[in-house]
Amino acid sequence: MIDAWYPVGLISGLTREGRETLLMEQPITVRAGKTGKPEVVTADGRSLPIVERFGHVWTSLGTPEKDLFTIPEADHPERVLVDVGVVRVKCSPLRAVENFLDIAHFPFVHTDILGAEPHTEVEKYDVKIREEEDEVWATKVKFFQPQAAKSAEEGITTEYMYRVPSPTSSVLYKTCPPRPGEWDVICLFVQPLTETLCDVWPWMALFDEDTSMTDLIHFQQLIFLQDRSILENQIPARLPLDPGMETPTRADLTSIAYRRWLKQHGYTYGAELVAQ
Amino acid sequence: MRLNASSPWIPLALSGDIPNGTVIPATLCSKPIAIWRSQSGQVNANGNRCPHRGMRLSHGFVRGETLSCIYHGWRFGQDGACQHIPAHPDVVPPASINCGPLQVAEQDGVIWVAEDQVESQPPRLDGLKPLRSLVFCAEPEAILTASGGTEVDLGVEATLAGTRICLLLQGQAPAETLCLVLVDQATSPKACAEISRALEGIRRRAEGETEKRGAA
Amino acid sequence: MILYDYILSPSCYKVRLMAALIGAPLELRPVDFHPGKEHLGEDLLALNPAGSIPILVDGDLILSESAAMLAYLAGQYAPDWLGEETATSRAMVQQWLAFAHRLTAALGGARLVEMLHGQGDLEALQTAGIAALRELEAALFKRRLDGGTWLVGESITIADVACFPYVALAPDGSISLDPYPSIRLWMRALRGQAGFVEMPGIHRRHELAPDPLTPAEGA
Ligand code: FES
Ligand SMILES: [Fe+2]
Repeated sequence: MIDAWYPVGLISGLTREGRETLLMEQPITVRAGKTGKPEVVTADGRSLPIVERFGHVWTSLGTPEKDLFTIPEADHPERVLVDVGVVRVKCSPLRAVENFLDIAHFPFVHTDILGAEPHTEVEKYDVKIREEEDEVWATKVKFFQPQAAKSAEEGITTEYMYRVPSPTSSVLYKTCPPRPGEWDVICLFVQPLTETLCDVWPWMALFDEDTSMTDLIHFQQLIFLQDRSILENQIPARLPLDPGMETPTRADLTSIAYRRWLKQHGYTYGAELVAQ
Repeated sequence: MRLNASSPWIPLALSGDIPNGTVIPATLCSKPIAIWRSQSGQVNANGNRCPHRGMRLSHGFVRGETLSCIYHGWRFGQDGACQHIPAHPDVVPPASINCGPLQVAEQDGVIWVAEDQVESQPPRLDGLKPLRSLVFCAEPEAILTASGGTEVDLGVEATLAGTRICLLLQGQAPAETLCLVLVDQATSPKACAEISRALEGIRRRAEGETEKRGAA
Repeated sequence: MILYDYILSPSCYKVRLMAALIGAPLELRPVDFHPGKEHLGEDLLALNPAGSIPILVDGDLILSESAAMLAYLAGQYAPDWLGEETATSRAMVQQWLAFAHRLTAALGGARLVEMLHGQGDLEALQTAGIAALRELEAALFKRRLDGGTWLVGESITIADVACFPYVALAPDGSISLDPYPSIRLWMRALRGQAGFVEMPGIHRRHELAPDPLTPAEGA
C-alpha cells in the first residue's frame, strides 16, 4: 500500500508556509513551492512524488508503479468541479471507503435524503474485480431516493455505479436528473493518517447549472457528516478481513469484493487480519 | 478486598435511567454492551457490536419489542436473534445471526447483568432505593476513602447528609468507576438533592486523590 | 427573516431548530464557511464585523449572537418559550444561555480540532467540556427529582434549545456522553418534540416514525 497514491490537500488550499500532516504515520509538509507548484516533503527532507489531479495534491511514500487513476467523465467542460473540503474521522481509512460503497444504510443514516423507510430493499446488482484495470466495480445498483441530489425535487429510483481504483479512493457515478444519460461523479478520497484515523476529502464533478457552489458543498458535507458518527462507532475500529468477524449479505457484495481485493493485494493498512 | 468481591451479577444501571423504548451503552467487565428496555417494559442486554458491520447497538433504537441497529436497521429480538434485515425484507434471517444476548435481572431498581448463565438471583438491597448513577475518574479504593464509609460486597456503605447510602462500584476501565448510588428508602426528596450535591464533593476528592497518585 | 447559515455549525443549527420547533418562518442563506471562509469575506464582515455565523437579519435588525436570535424568535412567535415571567425563571433562563457559551467554547472548540482541522489545546478543551457536562448532568438530575424534564420550569424553553446542540455533538470532539443518564433522557425528550429537525451527528428518533413492519391501524 506504500506505493499507492494518496490525497494530502486541496490544490486551492496550498500556502507557501505549508501544512503539516501525516501520511501513514509519517509526518509530511504539503506546501506551494517557489513557482507555486505543490511540494510534499518528509520530516527528514525527502521530496515525495506528486500528482495534481481532481483538485487535490496526491503523493506517495513509496514508488508508484502506475500513474494515479483518471476519471475521463470528469473532464467534460460543462461539469462543475466541487472541492468539498476536509473532514477528519477517527476510523480506519478502509472503513471510510467501505461505507461509501454501501447503499443499504441510506434509509437509516441519510433519512429522507438518500433513502427512507419503507424503501429499504437492495435489489441484486453486479460486482466484479476488473482484472485489466485492477479495480473493483459495482454496476446496476438501484435504490429509491426521496431527494437524490440537490437538483432532484422528489423521490426517484436512482442508479449508481461504484468504482474502487486505489485502496483508499472510491468513485461513485450516479444518474443525473437534469441530464438523462449522463452520470454525476462523486468521489471519496481518503488520506490515511494512521490505521484508525483519516482525513477525508470528498470531491465532485457534476452537471448542475442551477445550484450554487455553496449549496453543492453543503449537501455533500451534510451527507458525509451523517456518516462520520457511524464510522467512529464501529467495533473494531480496523476493518476485519477475517470472514468470521462480520456478517455480509447479498446487499454487501461490493464490500465483499472490496475486502477480497484488499486481501489479494496485501492492502492491509487499516485492516484487521485475525479476529481478536 | 470485598470491593472486588466476585459476583456473577454485575450492577450496571438504574431502572429509572432506562425508560420503556430506550437503549443505553454500558460496560460489563471492560466489554462494551447495550442495555435496552422494550416498549412493554422488558429489560434486555447484549453485546454492543452489531453482527452485521460492527456498529454500536447502543446508538440504535427500540421499536416495540425489538432493538434496531442505526446503520442498516437490522432488528434483534429479546433473545438476541436477528429478526429482520431491511435490505432483504423477504428473507428470514438465519438463526445463527445474533447480537450476543446476556442474562439480565431487574431488582430493587437496579439492572444487573451476568456474562454467563446463572441460577441465583442478584443480591437484595434491603431498605434502599436508587438515587442516581455517576462515573468517577478514580479507582474504587479512592472512592471508599473519599466517602469515609466502609466496605460491603460490591461497594461502599456510608453516611451522607445524615442518611445511610450505598455506593455500588464497578470498575469500567483503569481509573474509571461506575457508581450506582442508593439511599435509605425513607429519604425525602430534599435530602436526595442534598446527597446528590454531596456526592459531587466525594467525586472531586476521590479524583483529586487519584490524580495525585498518578502524578507521584 | 434571513439566517446566514452553515449546515455543520451547531450555533446555526440552534436557530434552525428553534424556528422548526415553534413553526417560525426562516429563510436560509448558506455561507461557505468551510472550506471557503466566506464568513471572513467583505460582504459578511460588513454585516457582522465579528466574522462569526450565524447572522439573523430581520428588516433593520441584525443579530449575531445565537442566544439573542432564540429570544427574538420566541418573542415573535412563541413567548412561552421564554419561560415564566418570574424573577427566578427569567434569571435561570439567562443562567443557561450564558452557560451555553461555555459549552460552545469547550465542546465546540474540541469539535473543531477533532473534525475540521481547527487549532486549540484539545486536552484542555475536553477537560473544560467534561466539567460543563457534569454540571449539566447534576442540574438535570435535580430537575428529575422534582419531576421536571426541562432546564427551567414545567415546559421547554430557549434555555434547552441553546444548550442542546453542542451537548449532543460532544462526541464529535471525542467527548463521550455515555456517563450522563440525565442528559441522555433530556436529549431524548428534546428529540421527541414535534417539529424537531436533525443535523449531521444528531440522529432523529426513528422509532417515532411508523414501523414499516406493523400494518397501519385501520388498514
Ligand atoms: S451494522 Fe448493524 S445493521 Fe449493519
Ligand atoms: Fe453514507
